[in-house]
Amino acid sequence: MHRLFGIETEYGIVVDGLGANDWIAESIALVRSYAGKSVGGWNYRGEDPRRDMRGFTVQHLSTNPDDAQFDLPDAPPLSREEERSDRILANGARFYNDHGHPEYATPECRSLRDLVAHDKAGERIALAAAQRRAQQRNLAVTLYKNNTDFHGASYGTHEGYLMARSVPTDAVIQGLLPFFVTRQIYAGAGKCGIENDSTSASARTFQLSQRADFFSVEASVDTLHNRPLVNTRDEPHATPRRFRRLHVICGDANMCEYATALKVGTTSLVLKLLEEGLTPPIKLVDPIRAVKQISRDITFKLAVERQGGPAVTALEIQRLYLNEAKQRLSGLDEDADWTLAEWEATLNALETDPLSLADRLDWVAKFRLLDAFREEENLAWDDPHMQSLDLAYHDIDPEQGLYYGLEQEGEMRRLVTDARIQAAMSCPPADTRAFLRGLFVERFGSVVRSIGWNGVAFKYNDEDLLFDMNPLVEENVALLNEEIGAAGSLDEVVAAIRRRPSDWV
Amino acid sequence: MTTIFRGEERRQMPTVPADPLRKSGDGDGPGKPDVKRPDTSDLLKRMKRVDPDAARRYRQRSGE
Repeated sequence: MHRLFGIETEYGIVVDGLGANDWIAESIALVRSYAGKSVGGWNYRGEDPRRDMRGFTVQHLSTNPDDAQFDLPDAPPLSREEERSDRILANGARFYNDHGHPEYATPECRSLRDLVAHDKAGERIALAAAQRRAQQRNLAVTLYKNNTDFHGASYGTHEGYLMARSVPTDAVIQGLLPFFVTRQIYAGAGKCGIENDSTSASARTFQLSQRADFFSVEASVDTLHNRPLVNTRDEPHATPRRFRRLHVICGDANMCEYATALKVGTTSLVLKLLEEGLTPPIKLVDPIRAVKQISRDITFKLAVERQGGPAVTALEIQRLYLNEAKQRLSGLDEDADWTLAEWEATLNALETDPLSLADRLDWVAKFRLLDAFREEENLAWDDPHMQSLDLAYHDIDPEQGLYYGLEQEGEMRRLVTDARIQAAMSCPPADTRAFLRGLFVERFGSVVRSIGWNGVAFKYNDEDLLFDMNPLVEENVALLNEEIGAAGSLDEVVAAIRRRPSDWV
Repeated sequence: MTTIFRGEERRQMPTVPADPLRKSGDGDGPGKPDVKRPDTSDLLKRMKRVDPDAARRYRQRSGE
């Protein structure tokens, strides 16, 4: 793909015998249990989550008042550094505590298979830290890659996409809303029951998405409460006048490799369409209502209201985007062609035989696995027993999780080998700036003062230097990576960085 | 602090697919998992091991 992208996963955590008021301390301890090579000290240069891409900065971000019940009144205040406990890893990833959830942010990737490998590497890294923490504690520690606690609390799986700043903000929002409302038909992870909707007459349902119940506005900078379908946080992590980083918070945590690749591939193509001037193909009357309606209809027959035309189904909306992408983006690159072909095949199968996708989409795999059990045991979809099985689907321990049970039976499609995932645990992608971040961690950690997405601050001959990586978002960074990777010493690295880019050609 | 790199952003030069991790076969689309296949009854056993009250007890802080 002709852009950088990545995935951030906040894991649900359980430590036997402890409760939600312990999760901040336990998440911090878990992250600190990471035993691989890493450096601490996140570099926040250019980061302000209150800055809105619509051109203003909010005073405060919303927080969920329900979380106050889990605050410990006598807990000593922690500095941001103590609470985050950042670990920047040799594969270019970031591993830290975020609001009581261990969070793994993949390094920037440029290919779908690299991203899948690094997303899965994140699971293994988080699991290894959990197992180490369990040994220290002599208590079982379990991590779930999902997005709900079934009691109304949600936590995120975010995608980041670098895109052109030149696309007007309103075009981004209006162009994405119908797409985000409907991509859950293949990207949803499935959920037993409904949350945050006391009026729903059909709470005893299986829905497509873990996350759809938790959106209340179309666009805003918030992420913790009053969540928007389109998050307008403006943190480009690249040269601001040229780029945005679209921070997508409306997606589910995918266990299926194929669903991850299709979700990111289709979204990246839609962004490409917007960059090429696509005007929104459709405008929905009420996107917030529609995202919930669509999530709760696994027949795909439901049509949602649109402005200036007859109601449309999710499949019809997805086909509008697909057809535009086929016309304009065929032959763009290998990932684009894979995405176009699989996108169309998936929509066709959803229309004719959704269960045939049980080997590649999470909601279908989960539905097929749990429905037989539910019928046999005569349980409602929102029965706590069904929700416990739903939760177990997302357990990232290959010896316990139900997704991994399916995978080990050969039921699930794979996009990458286990060897490639294993390698991604310690090696960054070779064709993005994450390689340079990882190189500093791997070889020069003792001089690093802090590392962020867009730079490395380090000590060199008593001088404080900042390696500005804001410009290094193009494909040609692979050549710089080769040169710096071959350097035998920090002197040679600094010399290579200081040379003009034209010297590297 | 001295900033030591300000690169030009859109230079034309070929990318180098120099990923040493990329193995032949990775680019050929979905394949079968390279894991050992257990007896098919293992999944059912795994489901039966799930505590029916796990979700009832499961509480998390809100995340992003």
